[in-house]
Amino acid sequence: MATPFSLRAAIGALMLSTALANVALAQDDGQWTLPGKDFGATRYSGLDEITAANVERLRPTWTFSTGVLGGHEGQPLVVDDTLYAVTPYPNVLYAFDLSKEDYPLKYKYRPDVNPASVGVACCDAVNRGAVYAEGKIVYNLLDGRTVAIHAESGAELWQTKVAELTKGETITMAPLVVGDRVLVGASGGEYGIHGWIKGLDLETGDVVWTGRNMGPDSVVLATPGTFKSYYDTGTDLALSSWSGDSWQRGGAPVWGWLSYDPELDLVYYGTGNPGPYNAEQRGGDNKWSSSVLARRPSDGELIWAYQFTPNDNWDYDANAENILTELEIDGRSRNVLVHFDKNGFAYTLDRATGEVLVAEPFVEVNWAERIDLETGRPMVDPTKLTGKSQGMVRNICPNLEGGKSPASPASYSPKTGLFYVPTNNLCMDWQSFDAAYIQGTPYVSANIPYTAGPGGHLGAFIAWDATTGQRVWEIKERFPVWSGSVVTAGDVTFYGTLDGWFKAADARTGELLWKFKVGSGVVGAPITYRGPDGKQYVAVYAGIGGDWFLIAGDVRSDDPADVRPPSDFAPDLARYTSRGGMLWIFAL
Amino acid sequence: MKRKPILALSLLALASCGGPEPVDSETVTTARNSPAAVRYDQYGSAGNLAPPAEELVNPFNGDPSAAEQGEVIFGAMNCDGCHGGGGLGFVGPSLVDGRWRYGGADGALFHSIFYGRSHGMPAYGGLISDATVWQLVTYVRSQPLPGVVPTVAWP
Repeated sequence: MATPFSLRAAIGALMLSTALANVALAQDDGQWTLPGKDFGATRYSGLDEITAANVERLRPTWTFSTGVLGGHEGQPLVVDDTLYAVTPYPNVLYAFDLSKEDYPLKYKYRPDVNPASVGVACCDAVNRGAVYAEGKIVYNLLDGRTVAIHAESGAELWQTKVAELTKGETITMAPLVVGDRVLVGASGGEYGIHGWIKGLDLETGDVVWTGRNMGPDSVVLATPGTFKSYYDTGTDLALSSWSGDSWQRGGAPVWGWLSYDPELDLVYYGTGNPGPYNAEQRGGDNKWSSSVLARRPSDGELIWAYQFTPNDNWDYDANAENILTELEIDGRSRNVLVHFDKNGFAYTLDRATGEVLVAEPFVEVNWAERIDLETGRPMVDPTKLTGKSQGMVRNICPNLEGGKSPASPASYSPKTGLFYVPTNNLCMDWQSFDAAYIQGTPYVSANIPYTAGPGGHLGAFIAWDATTGQRVWEIKERFPVWSGSVVTAGDVTFYGTLDGWFKAADARTGELLWKFKVGSGVVGAPITYRGPDGKQYVAVYAGIGGDWFLIAGDVRSDDPADVRPPSDFAPDLARYTSRGGMLWIFAL
Repeated sequence: MKRKPILALSLLALASCGGPEPVDSETVTTARNSPAAVRYDQYGSAGNLAPPAEELVNPFNGDPSAAEQGEVIFGAMNCDGCHGGGGLGFVGPSLVDGRWRYGGADGALFHSIFYGRSHGMPAYGGLISDATVWQLVTYVRSQPLPGVVPTVAWP
C-alpha cells in the first residue's frame, strides 16, 4: 500500500523523536532497558564500581529459580527499580521489586503457550528476552505471539499472533522497539518457512508491515532507487537468486538480535540459513538468507542488504548481533557495523551502505580462503561444498554451530576499542540428502557429525580488534563458549561457560580475575546495572540448553523416558552440568 | 535439481504397493488395524484428541521387509529431522533408549504417529496410509534396544 510521501515523512519524524527518547533511556547505565543495552547493541556499561582491581571480591547476593529447565538464553532487563526476567517455554515473565529486601515479585505473567510449539522449535524452547519501551514490556511467545505487558502492573495490554505454528514458525528472538514500531521475526530455518520481519504498532499491537527476506521486491519491500545494495544491482534479487520456487520455503528466519542507528534511521538484523540443507535443491545465491538487512523501521522499506554466505552450504545463519560503533579504519573515522558470523569471519561494514571494510577469520576457517573486499564474496574452497552430489564431505571448519553462536552476543568497549567474543572451536563432516517439504515438519535432510577443532579445546573467549581484524587475547575453554558477554567502564568483561562457571576477565589483558560456579551451564548474556542502593550489580541466567541441550541431550535429568548418550566430541559435559534455570545477582 | 516431494510420494506408493498387504480388518474379529480417521490439516490440534481406547494389532509384526520400508519412510517423512538419524533423539525424544513417554506397545506407537502427541509430534494419520504407519512402527520396534541402564558413571 502506497503512503503519500509527506505523510510518510511526518510519521518518520514522529517516530524519530520517540526513538531519541528511548536512546536517552538506553544510555542510562543505571538501567538495562534493551536486549543489547543500547540501540547499537554494544552491551557496554559505563558503571565502574566493579573494576579489574576489586572484582575478586565479587559475591552472589541473591538467586532465584525460574522453575523452568529449558536453555536460558538472553538477558534480564532492569527498568527503574524493577528487574524483569523471561523464561524459556512456557515464557513466564517475572517482575522483581529491587527496592525491597529479598526482591519480592511485583507480579508474574503466565501466558497460555501452546505446548505443540516445543516440538516445532529446532533448538530447544528458548527465549532471548524482552524489551522495554513507553511503560511496556514487550516480548514473544514460542507459539508465535507478541505480547505487551504494562510494566508496572503486569496487566496484558495486547497480544498479536504474528507467526503460524503449523507452517513451522515459532518465535525465540528478543524484539526491539524503535519509536512506535515493535520489530519481531520468526524462527524456523529448519522447517522451510518463508522468513520475515514484521513491524507492529506499539500502542495496539497491529501489524503495520511485513517484510519478507526473499521473494519478489513487492514482498521484500524493496523499491528501485531506494534500495541500494553496495555489491548488487537490479530488481527482484531475492527472487532471481533462487532456482524455481525454492524461495517460498527457503527459510531465512529472524531469530537473533536487532540494532538501530537513529541518525540513519535504519534497523539492522541478520537472517538465518536457507533451507533445505541440501544446497542443490535451491540453486543460486539465495538472497537474502545468511545476510544482514537494513530497513527503515516505520514502513519496513529495505534500504540495503549484504549476504555473508551466498548459497549457504553449511547452515551458516547470520543471526548474530550487528554491533554499531565508530572506528578509525585506514586513518578514516567510519560509522561501522561489526558482525561475528557463524561462517567464522568477523566483518566490519560501513553501516550506511553495506560496504565490507574488514573481513578476517576469528576462528579456524577452511570453507573459504578469504572474503574478496572488491566483490564482497567469499573465495569458497570447492571441495567443501556440501550438495547431495558431493556425498560425505569431510572436515569443514567452523561447524554449523558457528565460529560463534549467534545466540551468544559479543560486547564492545569504547574504552578499550575491543570486542569481547564467545567462540566455538568445532568442525564437521557433512552429507546432504534430498529433503521433502511437509508443512510444519523439519526440512533439513543431512547427516552432520561434529569433530573438535585443532588444539584440543572446544571453545575460547576472545578479544577482537575490528579495525584490523585481529585477535588481541584469548581464554581457552574446555567446552564451546555459549554465553553472551558484557564489558564495563571498570575494564572488566564477564562471560559464562557450559560447565557452569561465571567468569570475569581483565578487558585489557584477558587475565582471568574471578569465577563462580552457578549450578548449570551458562547460555545467557550477563547484564550490569545500578541498584536502588547505588551499588553496581551483575546479573546472569544459568541454565544450559539451546542447541547444547540437543547435541548433548545427556545433560537433562527431568524426563525418565528420554535418555541419550553423550555427544562423542564432548563426552564429559554431563559430568559437570545438568539443566536448571536460575537467575543470579552478584555485587561487591 | 531433484525435488524430494516427488521422491517421497514415489516411495510411499512403493511402500503401499510393494510391502506385504495389511491384514484385512474383516478377517480379524477381535482387533482392528485402524482407528477412526483424522485429516492431515487437523494435525496441529490432533495431538489433543483423545484416541479411542482400542487394541491395535500390527499386521506386519516383526516382518523385516516392512521394517526396511519403515526405515525409508522414517527418512522420507522427516521423522529423522526431529528424532535424529537412527532415532537417537534430537528435537524429539530418543526412540532407541528402550523408554517410552506414551507407551512402547504396537498400538501406542501407532497412536503416536497417527494422532500426534501434544508436545509437537505431528499427526501423520491421513497423510500416510495406515499400512505405512505400521511399517514405521515395525521399523521402530526392529531397532536393537539396550536394556534400561539407570546408571551412568565416569572413571
